[in-house]
Amino acid sequence: MLKMTHLSKAYRTEVVETFALRDFSIHVREGEFVAVTGPSGSGKTTFLSIAGLLEEFSGGEYQLDGANVRGLNDNQRSRLRNEKIGFIFQAFNLIPDLNVQDNVDVPLRYRGFNGAERRRRIQESLARVGLSARARHYPAELSGGQQQRVAIARALAGSPRLLLADEPTGNLDTQMARGVLDLLEELHRDGATIVMVTHDPELAIRAQREVHIVDGQVVDLAAQPRLVTAASAHP
Amino acid sequence: MELRPILSAMLRNKVGALLIGVQMAITLAILCNGLFIIEQRVILSHRPTGADEANVFVIPNQWVGSPPDLAARQQTDLAALRALPGVVDAFATNSYLLSNGGSSGGVFLTSDQKESSAQTAFYFADEHGLNSLGLRLVAGRNFNSDEVLDRNGNNDLTPASAAIITRALAEKLFPGKSALGQSLFTKPENNTIPIVGVVDRLQVPWVGTWSEKFNDYSIIEPFRYINPYVFYIVHTQPGQLPAVVKSAEKKLFETNRSRVLEKIVSLTDARDDAYKDDRGLAVILGVVCAALVAVTAFGIVGLTSYWVAQRRRQIGIRRALGATRNGIVRYFQTENFLIAAAGALLGIALAVSANLWMVSTFEMQRLHVSYPIIGAVVVLLLGQAAVLWPALKAASIPPALATRA
Amino acid sequence: MFNYYLGLALRSLRRNVVLTVLMIAAIGVGIGASMTMLTVFRAMGDDPIPNKSRQLFAVQIQNWEPRRGGSGGAGGSPDNLQEQISYTDAMAFMNMRAARRQTAMYATGAALTPSNPDLRPFQVHTRAAFADFFPMFSVPFLYGAPWTAADDEGRSDVVVIARDLNDKVFAGANPVGKTINLDGRDFRVVGVIDRWEPIPKFYDLNNDMYGKAEQAFVPFNRAIESQMASWGNNNCRGDVGAGWDGHLHSECVWFQFWVELPTAADAEHYRMVLNNYAAEQQRSGRFHWPPNTKLHDVREWLNYQHVVSNEVRILVVVSFSFLLVCLLNAMGLMLAKIMGRAGDIGVRRALGANRGAIFSQCLIEAAVIGFAGGLLGLALTMLGLVGLRSLLSEEVTRLTHFSLADVAIAVSISVIATILAGLYPTWRAAQVQPAWQLKAQ
Repeated sequence: MLKMTHLSKAYRTEVVETFALRDFSIHVREGEFVAVTGPSGSGKTTFLSIAGLLEEFSGGEYQLDGANVRGLNDNQRSRLRNEKIGFIFQAFNLIPDLNVQDNVDVPLRYRGFNGAERRRRIQESLARVGLSARARHYPAELSGGQQQRVAIARALAGSPRLLLADEPTGNLDTQMARGVLDLLEELHRDGATIVMVTHDPELAIRAQREVHIVDGQVVDLAAQPRLVTAASAHP
Repeated sequence: MELRPILSAMLRNKVGALLIGVQMAITLAILCNGLFIIEQRVILSHRPTGADEANVFVIPNQWVGSPPDLAARQQTDLAALRALPGVVDAFATNSYLLSNGGSSGGVFLTSDQKESSAQTAFYFADEHGLNSLGLRLVAGRNFNSDEVLDRNGNNDLTPASAAIITRALAEKLFPGKSALGQSLFTKPENNTIPIVGVVDRLQVPWVGTWSEKFNDYSIIEPFRYINPYVFYIVHTQPGQLPAVVKSAEKKLFETNRSRVLEKIVSLTDARDDAYKDDRGLAVILGVVCAALVAVTAFGIVGLTSYWVAQRRRQIGIRRALGATRNGIVRYFQTENFLIAAAGALLGIALAVSANLWMVSTFEMQRLHVSYPIIGAVVVLLLGQAAVLWPALKAASIPPALATRA
Repeated sequence: MFNYYLGLALRSLRRNVVLTVLMIAAIGVGIGASMTMLTVFRAMGDDPIPNKSRQLFAVQIQNWEPRRGGSGGAGGSPDNLQEQISYTDAMAFMNMRAARRQTAMYATGAALTPSNPDLRPFQVHTRAAFADFFPMFSVPFLYGAPWTAADDEGRSDVVVIARDLNDKVFAGANPVGKTINLDGRDFRVVGVIDRWEPIPKFYDLNNDMYGKAEQAFVPFNRAIESQMASWGNNNCRGDVGAGWDGHLHSECVWFQFWVELPTAADAEHYRMVLNNYAAEQQRSGRFHWPPNTKLHDVREWLNYQHVVSNEVRILVVVSFSFLLVCLLNAMGLMLAKIMGRAGDIGVRRALGANRGAIFSQCLIEAAVIGFAGGLLGLALTMLGLVGLRSLLSEEVTRLTHFSLADVAIAVSISVIATILAGLYPTWRAAQVQPAWQLKAQ
């Protein structure tokens, strides 16, 4: 699904060239739930940016769902992002002007679905995250956990091939965090491919396997599969 | 104040600063020229005629047809008018002040002169003329009744036996010496006229640009103007004008109905009418300038508020590091001042070039140097005033912001 | 997608009311000011007779000695041509009969004595012209018809009156055959013209060009024989004999002369005839300078005479500069607004919006602002025109009309200008990197 080989990303300022990622390789297969961990400054955020086609990379190769990503123009990258990837941000990043269902609607608009199709998908994803009753509420009226679940619904609505989550529970208290993670595990069980970036080892444990980055390179490649723990109730 | 970091921070936000700067520049250019034009028009519309405007009115009198006893009818009319209560004096003439209609021609000093010495307006008046207009004699005398001849219509070339000229014309034709006793020569009548009197001021009847150069050059010739279409000028006692107008109209129709009396107009009304376009232009320009200042001010407020919002964290950090509220306010004021100063320089250049263009295209006057300078000061103050509110808002940003993620 | 962006735009504008109001106000005021002045400018310079303006020509001839520099005011025009012509030349031109239609004319007036003795006499502005005047200038008739060429020759006491005069004297009924008394002389009414008010009065720009049209028309030769004085401009140079005849046969210019020349060939022919005449005058010693004549069609004539006043020109320049400031202002405010929502834009980009989508979204928002600003501008234009009428003399603003086409133009200009002003902010918005940059904020 997601395959990076000898990827490197260099940031050039006027004086200095720093490598955020150096000779970085990772292979996430379809249906895997992978946690990407590492200390701050390790490059895991850069990795997620590149994985999500939000940034370009300097060297190496990146294949997303079989397609080589190098050399795509902005329009092509946008379309790929729209069709293949579902984002879940730490800060939720819902659009405050829009209510819940309009927020979920956003990527669908850029997809070009017609009205009926969009409505169906919105209904389905909201039901999936258990927020159908809140369709017309505004983000300001929801708790942190609920907002993150709306974000997840938004990520799911377009039937993406890959879910990219950046510290998905970073802004939530323990109980809400548990609920969100339970949802992610549920999605994984239903067949989703999830790559989750986190600095919290407690969170990393919940994933299937862990990839550890330090100074832009993969270090521990723990290949043993972990047991998936039982789901708990939604918050 | 640390100018360099402010400058470099601003340069990173080039476009916003540019927008404000250019707006201020254009505002300055428009303000300068607009206010200058307003001043010019106000000056223009306040030019004194030399007459006692508040107490003088004009009756345009048109006889039906061309009756043979015009002269007699006119004398009857004038006698009747002069006898009315509240009337100081009255006379008949070919044109009146502020009417934009009249007779003008060149005047010469000798008969063999090729080019005229001055362009002037010609007024016909009998010995009641000066009193009926309230003109002030500063040298010489009024006409004697035996000097006053008949001038029949506009094509009569009867030579004038004397002339009273304005002080300005006297200065122009006979600089440094007295005009009394000197003579003028007019070509159509082929006639040398001795000057017997000088009045302080008598404006030409036109108020437009074409007569500006000879605005104060007028000649009064001693004629009874006998024409089917003539103007009766009546001078009233102070405060009596409205009453006299009514009684005059009534009296004239009683005397003879075979005439048309067009709208009777006082000289104050004539002034309002004559300068209506100038006043209108001044008002419109005033409104536009005021709107311009408002638009620019609000624009500065809007854009600066956005900058403040953009730099919230940075401002919080500064405060955490020890900057005072005043320091923050001064930061934005300095920033605005730099932009305004650049804008003012550009604006002065724009104002001057715009003015030069208008001078060549519209025959306007050149901008007085005080205008761009005052304009620059105004624009700088405007910027400082406009930036005050967003700057104060910036100053109220809590230093605690620095600790938020 | 358009509806989607429209919805987003409206929502976004509602969210920050103050900023929205400022932007719409800025654009509205700018559009209002410039549209007002543009309307007046167009009204003043409008083609007053569009279907014939290319076929009607004003004739000029130099009958005064060329002046070098010279002191004092009137008479020194750069091309040595006067705006009016003398009687001698007017009659000569009439006799040339070199045009399809032609008329010499001048402005005069008379006092009309009503047949009802209880009513007072009143003034009637009159035009002395030849019969060709009416078909030449496409003057519409309500009753009757123009007089004939025979009337011109015979100096008949006939008159064509205007509708307003007919209403006043004959209560609007058909007066053909009846008489009116002008300055003690009876004139037989042969026709009544319908409302005809060319703005400006192009056929006589020297005398009250924005004033009302004449109320009566009499044959030229009749007016001259009755010595009806000119109520218009009169300029003299050189020797003038005494009395009416002296004035008539001098080089004083107080007549207008117009010809109708349907084709370019006709115009060429007329120019040739005109120049031959001027050359003839030089040969005979009347003129001491080479032939100098000119034909101007209606639009050229309006231009030549600087019909649009300087006041109006200045105001047009000022108001469009004002509009420029307003647009710059709007650009700044749009920049602030759009960049203030950089976060939302980043999210949308992350969710799959390409730059084009962001472009469309922002430009449509600009268009909405432009549309609202245009409507406000229209309202302000109406206000401005009303205000103008009271401020400027009636003549200047008499027919500043505002048609449906002008409404469309004003709104279109507003929308296009706002979109142009929004191009830079939109471009900046499209440069916003997809979501991850938000973290640094």
